[in-house]
Amino acid sequence: MNFWIVLTVNSVTFGGLLFLLASGFSLIFGLMRIPNLTHGSLFMLGAYIGGSVVIGLFGFKMNFWLAAVLASLTVAALGALIERFLLRQLPGDQLAQVLVTLGISFMAADFCLMVWGGDPMSVATPQGLGGFARVGGAVFPLYRLAIIAIAVVVAIALWMLLDRTRLGAMIRAGVDDPDMARVVGIRVSQLFTIVFALGAGLAAFAGIIGGPILSVYPGLDQDMLPLALLVVIIGGAGSLLGSFVGSILVGFIYNFGQALLPELAYFVLFLPMLLVLLLRPQGLFGRHVP
Amino acid sequence: MATSALRLEGVDAFYGDSHVLQNVSFELGEARMLGLLGRNGAGKSTCMNVGMGLLAARRGAVSVFGEDVTKLSPELIAARGVALVPQGRRIFRSLTVRENLLVAGRKPDAGSKHAPKHAPWTMDTVFAMFPRLKERTSQMAAHLSGGEQQMLAIGRALMGNPRVLLMDEPSEGLAPQIVAEVMATIRKLKESGLSIVLVEQNPNLVFDVADDIVILNTGGVAVVSTPAALRQDDALLRQHLGVF
Repeated sequence: MNFWIVLTVNSVTFGGLLFLLASGFSLIFGLMRIPNLTHGSLFMLGAYIGGSVVIGLFGFKMNFWLAAVLASLTVAALGALIERFLLRQLPGDQLAQVLVTLGISFMAADFCLMVWGGDPMSVATPQGLGGFARVGGAVFPLYRLAIIAIAVVVAIALWMLLDRTRLGAMIRAGVDDPDMARVVGIRVSQLFTIVFALGAGLAAFAGIIGGPILSVYPGLDQDMLPLALLVVIIGGAGSLLGSFVGSILVGFIYNFGQALLPELAYFVLFLPMLLVLLLRPQGLFGRHVP
Repeated sequence: MATSALRLEGVDAFYGDSHVLQNVSFELGEARMLGLLGRNGAGKSTCMNVGMGLLAARRGAVSVFGEDVTKLSPELIAARGVALVPQGRRIFRSLTVRENLLVAGRKPDAGSKHAPKHAPWTMDTVFAMFPRLKERTSQMAAHLSGGEQQMLAIGRALMGNPRVLLMDEPSEGLAPQIVAEVMATIRKLKESGLSIVLVEQNPNLVFDVADDIVILNTGGVAVVSTPAALRQDDALLRQHLGVF
């Protein structure tokens, strides 16, 4: 019985991490129609930068949460630069955007290898969350429960931002009709920079938050990017609810697939993607884009 | 001499290789209404797009209350007090009625001598003008009727507290009763002191409300006149509008 409960908690935890990663990817793709293949690299960069600050690799140390904020802000700024100086030059040209973002992801991988080397970096669990919680007969690592709570808080905050604020309405207006949004005085280009930076920051945050569970290693970007793609394809691009449900689903499929059918883990993982693409190409909660 | 609210001077504009406006010049006086007439494809909507900055003039100049805005982007032109009610309404379909108005909200430029003389437009005053919108504040704009969408498009433009309002075929696709309501609204807006360019295909609608008339023909200005003079000149109207 414990095995199933622990597997379930692990699945939800991994789903929470995936949500932090994929919600930004979904926002950028759904709102700006940019297939941002650097997203896995932004996750890995966040993990490396945050992890380095936690262990004092840059000559100064910070506690885990401050390091997470610093890494997120740094990567958000990098995302803003990528959007402003590269992707903005290629409006509407998705093939060029795919190639540019893929190129940047290769460059980022090389950069990380040069700076941090090929050995995995382990990130310690934040203070106070190293223990376990006992609920009924089962034992849960506190940190995994904390990740679930963080994902829920971020999901609510993102929903409030997009659905309950003027900024969120302006972003959605910019997606509906960018020219008319400009006509009513909305600075659409600034909004898109904000969205891209937010997505990048969220990916980096997921990277450092996931550090104590996944550790940080070369190739982490290529491990995470397909999972983010899966979430967005299953949940639907641009849909926050889709990202949430998709993340939890992928979290379950990934963990249960690995545990029960390890030799077919990728088959089990990507089969739902194929089915969704064939039967409901806009994803479970996505809007149909003609 | 009175200041022009909007002036196009020798404007040439292109869509790709198509030369759609050729040396177009006209001006809209402050607190006046200019009716812009012409057949399909005459260049009326293109004039609106050039005035709003959605299409760049390749030659010539556009000015708003004497300030050159030729090279400015739509958002900067909007900040100078120009608003557009576009052809086809183009409301934000996935936003609610309230959100459509909210995103367009801008305080009037109180420091300007050309600031609107009436009280600033707010969501409340827009709802007072269009009570039907108030009943549908939380409804997705995509689910409104054509008439309601037109009201929303006008309300959204007013939320920017414009000094110049460009209205591109606001009666298009509406039932006659709704057209009458929309025209009554336009009359009220004119009385409030707003400077308005009204683009229409139906000259009778424009003759009832406009002070001045410009008729475009194949991308150029063919006639500059007044409703009173044009009502007497059926031959001229037939020649340029192919009606009557």
